[in-house]
Amino acid sequence: MKQTDLLIALQSDVDCFSGATIDTPLESLPRWDSLSILLVISHIEANYKIILSGQQIRECRTVRDLLNLIPTL
Amino acid sequence: MKTALKNFKIRAIALSTGSVTRSYIEDGLAQGIPQIKLERISQTIGLNIRKTALNNITALDLCEDASRRLLRQLDLDVSSVDAIIFVTQTPDYAQPNNASLLHGRLGLSQDTMAYDISMGCSGWVYGLHQAALLCAHGGLGRVLLCAGDTLSRTTHKLDQSINPLFGDAGSATLIERSGAEDTMYFMFGTDGSMSSAIKVPAGGSREPLTSKSKEELKDKFGNITTQENLQMNGADVFNFTLRDVPQAIQAVLTHANYKVSEVDALVLHQANKYIVQLIGQKTGFNPQQVPNAVFEKFGNQSSASIPCVLIDSLGEALTKKAVKVVGCGFGVGLSWAAFAGEIGPVTVCPIQPYPQTP
Repeated sequence: MKQTDLLIALQSDVDCFSGATIDTPLESLPRWDSLSILLVISHIEANYKIILSGQQIRECRTVRDLLNLIPTL
Repeated sequence: MKTALKNFKIRAIALSTGSVTRSYIEDGLAQGIPQIKLERISQTIGLNIRKTALNNITALDLCEDASRRLLRQLDLDVSSVDAIIFVTQTPDYAQPNNASLLHGRLGLSQDTMAYDISMGCSGWVYGLHQAALLCAHGGLGRVLLCAGDTLSRTTHKLDQSINPLFGDAGSATLIERSGAEDTMYFMFGTDGSMSSAIKVPAGGSREPLTSKSKEELKDKFGNITTQENLQMNGADVFNFTLRDVPQAIQAVLTHANYKVSEVDALVLHQANKYIVQLIGQKTGFNPQQVPNAVFEKFGNQSSASIPCVLIDSLGEALTKKAVKVVGCGFGVGLSWAAFAGEIGPVTVCPIQPYPQTP
């Protein structure tokens, strides 16, 4: 699965990614907050059966870093 | 750790909430948070109304009110209570414990056990297990289990990540020895390696209250807290509710030999509406089996939330018949405790705010 497809899937579940690209810094997303982090964990668990830790997400700088945590690539 | 007990029953349940009605949207607007942001969060996790206690009201007061209403409704002689177990994270004092204070207030006989259990959101199930042990194997006839907290006062008012979540409540549950052969199945778990995920760092022996513990710290989302406030790492806690809580529910279902389809209700700690719905989905229950209205009406009530669901969502059924219930409390510790068994018929006292407005 391409990163763009992963991003499209993520955008359908987590509203803060609308308009984002692979290289968008997470901190620049206006709605990137603690709720969005929960929604990301939930989306990735439901679709890829892995549960990311809070630490793994906190270490991500861009959308690409986040998508790289999904092991299906 | 799994265990099972019989020869006890839940005879009655009561719950008193704080008397102050708070609206998430109105409070947020008053703090200058944009309405669109508040509505997004409100709709996603179910933040709406919560009931908090007046500043001079503690978990002890709320549980005392619930206990008095319960004993009055049953017309019970208080001297017939053999033990009080008080589950709380917000006791009146470091010493003595709340159970002894409540013993004094209710005027119970000196021939009574009274002790606290320091547990949060998994605590009602721990208390139920303790009370059941005392009745089933300890020769006691009647145990008053109180579970409640005033967590709304433990958070910093400018910590938007957790301040709006909590309501205050105190519950009372009467457990009695019975000759019935019905079994209650339990499953307990702990992850102490994640104990920092929900924590009030200062105020105990390890980190006393000092001017430093009062220093305000700001996170990257603009939330403010101090070492004296309840702090929660939402992502780590969420992680645990996705991984360990569904496993515990599956394990207690297997332990009790219950099929999901034969269970009348999955009664979960009401951490928030989103988490309750998600755990229901992950464990294969249909939404009608999983009551989730309590969080929107009262907030996250810590150890009082499971008895609140029993009264608010199942109260009518419980007064009439035995209801097959699977439940799970989960939170600070990190700790989780699941149970499965039949409850009822039970005397159910209505949920009331305390103090009552004249």
